[in-house]
Amino acid sequence: MPKYIRRSLFALSIEDSRSGEKAYHSWADAIILDFVKKAGQDWQEDIKSRMPASINQAAKGGAEVFIRINSEAAAAELVATVFPGIAGVVLKGVNGGEDIKKVSACLDVLEESRGIARGSLEIDVEVNTAAGVWNSVEIARASPRFGTFTANERELYRNLGMFPEPVLEFEPLEYIKSQLITVATSVGGQAQGFSYPLSLTEKDAGEDEIKKVVRRARDTGFKGAVCPHVSWIKACNEGFRPSPDEVAYYRKVREVFSEGLKRGLASVPIDGKMIDIPVDLRAKLYLEWADRAAARDEEKAKAHEKPAS
Amino acid sequence: MNNRVVRCSMFVAPTNPRYIDKVWTRGADVYILDMEDSIPPAEKERCRSLIPESIPKANKGGASIYVRINKPFMDADLPSCVWPGVDRIMLPKTESAAEMQYAHEIISRLEKEHGIPEGYVELSPMIESALGAVNIYEILTATPRKIWSMGGGGGYDMAVNLGIEMFADFDQYAFPIAYVALAAMALGIEATGGVFVHNPTGRVDQSDYAAKQAEALHAAGIRQSGSLHPAFVQPLVSGLSPTSDEIKWANRVIEEYNKLADAGESVGELDGKVIDKYEYDMAQRTLHWADACAAKDAFKARALARAQAEEEKKQKPA
Repeated sequence: MPKYIRRSLFALSIEDSRSGEKAYHSWADAIILDFVKKAGQDWQEDIKSRMPASINQAAKGGAEVFIRINSEAAAAELVATVFPGIAGVVLKGVNGGEDIKKVSACLDVLEESRGIARGSLEIDVEVNTAAGVWNSVEIARASPRFGTFTANERELYRNLGMFPEPVLEFEPLEYIKSQLITVATSVGGQAQGFSYPLSLTEKDAGEDEIKKVVRRARDTGFKGAVCPHVSWIKACNEGFRPSPDEVAYYRKVREVFSEGLKRGLASVPIDGKMIDIPVDLRAKLYLEWADRAAARDEEKAKAHEKPAS
Repeated sequence: MNNRVVRCSMFVAPTNPRYIDKVWTRGADVYILDMEDSIPPAEKERCRSLIPESIPKANKGGASIYVRINKPFMDADLPSCVWPGVDRIMLPKTESAAEMQYAHEIISRLEKEHGIPEGYVELSPMIESALGAVNIYEILTATPRKIWSMGGGGGYDMAVNLGIEMFADFDQYAFPIAYVALAAMALGIEATGGVFVHNPTGRVDQSDYAAKQAEALHAAGIRQSGSLHPAFVQPLVSGLSPTSDEIKWANRVIEEYNKLADAGESVGELDGKVIDKYEYDMAQRTLHWADACAAKDAFKARALARAQAEEEKKQKPA
C-alpha cells in the first residue's frame, strides 16, 4: 500500500510569475519546482534569492513541494534550492547508487546548516535512462532517503532509441514499469507513472480517457503520476485511491471473513471468489488507504480556506 | 528440465475433514497440506497435530505430498511436518537467504531424527512480495538443498504488497514473475512461472478457465500449475500432458532427424517444417515428458484402485 498519499504531482517553473497561483488552484498532492540557470549572472545566488518564496507559494494549497535537480550538477543545484518547506528533491539523470549517495551526503550538510530536520528530506528518482532501470535495485537501496521512482516515459523512449509515438497496440514499457514498481516497493517506497498510450501525451486528453489510463496505471501498481497537464489532476486524485465501490466491497469482505473466523473457517466465498487471510489483509489495507486519501483531501481543503496569496 | 510430474498441485486444509478425507479421489499429482492461509489462527496448533495422519490420507491415490508452513512459526511448524512421505516444504513469503538458511538447518536436524535421507526434503521458497522477488537469486542459492522447480512472483500476497487489485485484463506481474523465472533458469531449476490468462471474475472454481490456463502454460513449455479448487484438477492434469498428436509428431521428428544424421546432414524438412537439432531436442523432451506423465498416471491409477478396494472393504459389514 502507498507509503505516501501522492496521487498527483504537477511540475511548475519558478520562472513562471503565476506558479504559486497555479499550484494553489491545481489541487495537486505535490508540486515539483523547476528552475532555469540564467546565463550571464550568478545563477546560484539568483535562484537562492527566489526559491524560499517560491516554495512558500507552491505549498499554500496544501501540496508537498519538491525541487527537480539534475544528477550531474546536483551539488551546486542543491545549495541553490534546498530550503525549509520542501519535502525532498526529484533527481533526474540517475545512473547508479553512487549518484544517490552523493546527493544524500549533500542533503545531510544542508539539513544541518538550514534548520531542516536531519534525514527528513526525501530523494525521489525520475528514471529516464536504461542505466537507471538496470541499476534500479542499487539506486533504491543506496539511501534510506529513497522515496519513489517516476518513470519518465518520453525520455526513456528516446534513451532506448524508440519513437515516442503512441502507435502500438501493447504497452512497450510493461516490464520496465513493473520493475520500477517492484523495486521501489521492495524497499518500502512506491512508483509513479501512467500507462500507455496516454503516458506519451502532454495535453488534456478528455476526462473519460484520463480516468481509464489512471485506472490502468493503478492496476499496474503506480500510486500516483506526474500530471502533464492540470486537467489530469482531478482524475489522479480520484483514481489513485480505492473507489467508493471498492470501499463498500472491502467492508463486506471484512465482515464476511470475520463471521467465517467465528465459525472456524479461514476461507469463505463471496460470489465465487475465495476470501481468505490475504484477501482480508488486503481489505484492511485498502480501507486504511481510503482513509488516508480522505484525510489528505481534508488537509488540502483546509489549506484552501486561506487565499492563494 | 527434470521430469517430476506436478501438472496440478492442490491445496487442502488438514483441519477440514470434508476436504482432507476425500482429497485422494480428486486426481491431483500433488496435494499441499496447508498450515498457512487456509488455517485460522486458533486452529494452527490442531493443524500441526493432524499433519502425520493427513499424509497417508492425501497420498493414497498416488499423489505426492508437500506442506506449506507458516513463516513466522517455522520452529513450531517444521517438527510437525518433516516426516517420511513429505517431498517438499513450502516456505511462504520468503524474502531473504537467512530465512532459507534457518529453515534448512531445522529440516536437516529433523531429517536425521525422523530417518529421512539427508537433503531429501526439498525446501521451496514462495515469492510473494516485491522484496522476495528482488532477492530471488540469493534466496535460491542460500542453501545446498536441492530445489527442483520454482515459480511464483504473483498472486494474492504479491497483489497486497504491490497495492494492486488483481484480475485486470493485462499482466500485472510482468517483472516479478519473469525475474523469478530467469533466476531459476540461470541456476538450472525448472521454471514454473505463470503465463497471464485474463480471469475477469477471479473465481477459482471454473474448469473452463483452468483449461485456458493449461493451454497457455502448455504453449509456453511450462508443465506445472496449482489449484485451490478440485474443478481445476482434471483440466490442468490433462492440459499439461503431451497430446497424442504431439507424441506422434515427436516420434516422426526423431525418425527424420536420425535419417538426416545417417546421411551426414543436419537440417531437413518434414511436412514443410524445418527439422534440425533444436527440433530433435524438443521432440526428445516431449517424449521424456510423455513417459514421465504416463508413469505417474499409471502409478496413480494403481494406488487409486488399491485405495478404493480398501474403502469398499471397510464399508462391507463384517
